[in-house]
Amino acid sequence: MSGIERLLIEFLLNFFTAEQLNAFFGDPRAVALLIGALVAVATALCGVFLVLRKLAMTVDAISHSVLFGIVAAFLAMLALGQTPDLSAPLLLIGAAGAGVGTVVLTELIARSRLVKSDAALGLVFPFLFALAVILVTRYVPNVHLDMDSVLVGEIGVAWANANSHCFARCEPVTITADDPRAEMARRCLNCAAEGISPRSPRAVFETYCSNCGTFSAAEAWQRRLIAAPPELVFVPRALVPLALIALLNALFVLLFYKELKLASFDPDLAAAFGFRPALLSYALLILVSLTAVAAFDAVGAVLVVAFFVIPAAAAYLLTHRLWQMFLIAPILSVSAAISGYEAARALDISISAAMVTALFALFLLIWLLAPRQGLLSALIRRRRQRLLFAEQLLLGHLYNHQHTPEAESESAQVTLHEHLSWTSGKTARCLARLRAKRLVTFEAGQVRLTERGEALVRAFREGLMAG
Amino acid sequence: MADEQYALEINDLTVAYHQQPVLWDVDLRVPSGALMAIVGPNGAGKSTLIKAALGLIPRAAGDVRFFGAPLKRARARIGYVPQRNSVDWDFPTTALDVVTMGLYGKLGWLRRPDRSARQAALAALDQVGMAALAERPISQLSGGQQQRVFLARALAQGADLYFMDEPFAAVDAVTERAIVSLLHALRDQGKTVIVVHHDLQTVREYFDWVTLLNVEVIASGTVESAFTEANIARTYGGRLGALPLALNSSHEADAYVA
Repeated sequence: MSGIERLLIEFLLNFFTAEQLNAFFGDPRAVALLIGALVAVATALCGVFLVLRKLAMTVDAISHSVLFGIVAAFLAMLALGQTPDLSAPLLLIGAAGAGVGTVVLTELIARSRLVKSDAALGLVFPFLFALAVILVTRYVPNVHLDMDSVLVGEIGVAWANANSHCFARCEPVTITADDPRAEMARRCLNCAAEGISPRSPRAVFETYCSNCGTFSAAEAWQRRLIAAPPELVFVPRALVPLALIALLNALFVLLFYKELKLASFDPDLAAAFGFRPALLSYALLILVSLTAVAAFDAVGAVLVVAFFVIPAAAAYLLTHRLWQMFLIAPILSVSAAISGYEAARALDISISAAMVTALFALFLLIWLLAPRQGLLSALIRRRRQRLLFAEQLLLGHLYNHQHTPEAESESAQVTLHEHLSWTSGKTARCLARLRAKRLVTFEAGQVRLTERGEALVRAFREGLMAG
Repeated sequence: MADEQYALEINDLTVAYHQQPVLWDVDLRVPSGALMAIVGPNGAGKSTLIKAALGLIPRAAGDVRFFGAPLKRARARIGYVPQRNSVDWDFPTTALDVVTMGLYGKLGWLRRPDRSARQAALAALDQVGMAALAERPISQLSGGQQQRVFLARALAQGADLYFMDEPFAAVDAVTERAIVSLLHALRDQGKTVIVVHHDLQTVREYFDWVTLLNVEVIASGTVESAFTEANIARTYGGRLGALPLALNSSHEADAYVA
């Protein structure tokens, strides 16, 4: 991971100076927005398939149980004498294993048919989460894992948690006693042992070098051993893992779009074609686990679920085409992350919580106002259909009675509502609309169909017959 | 080629669910070019028979061959129309896209459907009278239209052997007629079609061959020989009582009785 970080900086140094990069990566706002956007894109891409496969709650479970995978791998690395760091391969394997393990365990328990699958999920992931907490508190007492960061992450201080990379004047400095920069001093050899003052004539002295040794470039600069500082670039630790997982998710969706679509819509046909839907499903869950780990630091285990679910659910309301969901969901997600951040700074509230609230607000807006599937347009459509149906019903009534002996009473303008068991107000409004459309006319208190009205009833009845 | 004589050959197939057999030692031979109905009461294992043959559910015992070859080598020649309610029709996609999915098997991993695939899918939609609704989201189609989209998807596969799981379930009269003429067109092209069917009244009219199934194969053969009152009564355990079927019992002796 460190090598990739270095490659990235070397690439960026073609376009920017080290000062510019440090200014950018040291800016809390720029880093929070960048990290937020990467989380938003990485999660939204997985989220589309998760929502379509009705796995929203599975994500919730995975985002909790990856903590167990991380802690287990962390302990394994300590036992092996390695320094744990969030991007170490073993940690990623642990997280992916815990994510897939949650789903497999849930399926095994559900398959016993003694527990329903939602309950099975609800008993697996809290257990793994609890196990993780016990392991942390018992065996890793001084690890930094406070509950706040598990719940909501620390995207606001992501800039401060950085790796440094040196690009010029990086050589370590070794000072020996004959170096001109060496600081020589004297010390008493027998003062402490004999309890005498250094001023005592019996005191024996030796000359030694007080700053000899080997120092990294940064330390050497701090001790003023070199004239110019080394050229360091600081990169937030969360950046590269998140960028990689976003890239990985995008590649996965792009490469296997066809296979994933078929396996999500009709797994049986996918299997019949030899596409291994179970394999694809596990690959998706592994990516979800890795994404959850990468996003964990930024937005926390609880709130990350919102990033997986809400943008996809909102995009679903805006389009009937799968590929468009993959464009709409990340756009919604990134814009909610940005507006959430700005709101959080303005109101001095939790950044990730503000981002999730912005996501929900965006969803609410779309849910109400989406052009075809929104609540409001559905209400309008339903009202229009109801009115139209009433009109057709009234026209049909007139048509059935128009040349019969009882036409006189059945079609009288004032008593019409009694025959239909409608209120007189509803009948009058319906008649007014029909007259405006030139489908009926009023003659001497009688309602009569116009030619257009009659034609419409006939067409409607034919439509009914044809089914 | 002798191998091609039977489009489907099932030997000693047993499928169990929690040690409870759903299909018990089924032997079935479907000659190439047959238009066959599989009928039987609810829970008789009709859908299970198709799914087990296609390897979608594990089998406890038995062997299945398609045109004399195992499933792996015959996959491209088999089309499958699952029950309509086996998928989520709120999935964000269009009728044309669902039909194009029928061509994914030929494309294999990673290759994208191109213009010719789109043309083939459109032609298949046209065959079921749905070309005008190609770009319609599938959630906005009626049940009958959805069923026709599923049929078009199987047609696009260009298979030689089709399995259809209750294509007539809850469809309107227009769709039912469209499906029947499609079945006959497929038969006239020499394709083999095996249909899980519910309506005993229409077996004679729609199909040439029939298999009566109730966990075991009760009878299988041409409609004339196998679809006898006695066999139906055995299949349904006499529960149907007096069936209003004009049955010709003189051919009963020719029936292949398991």
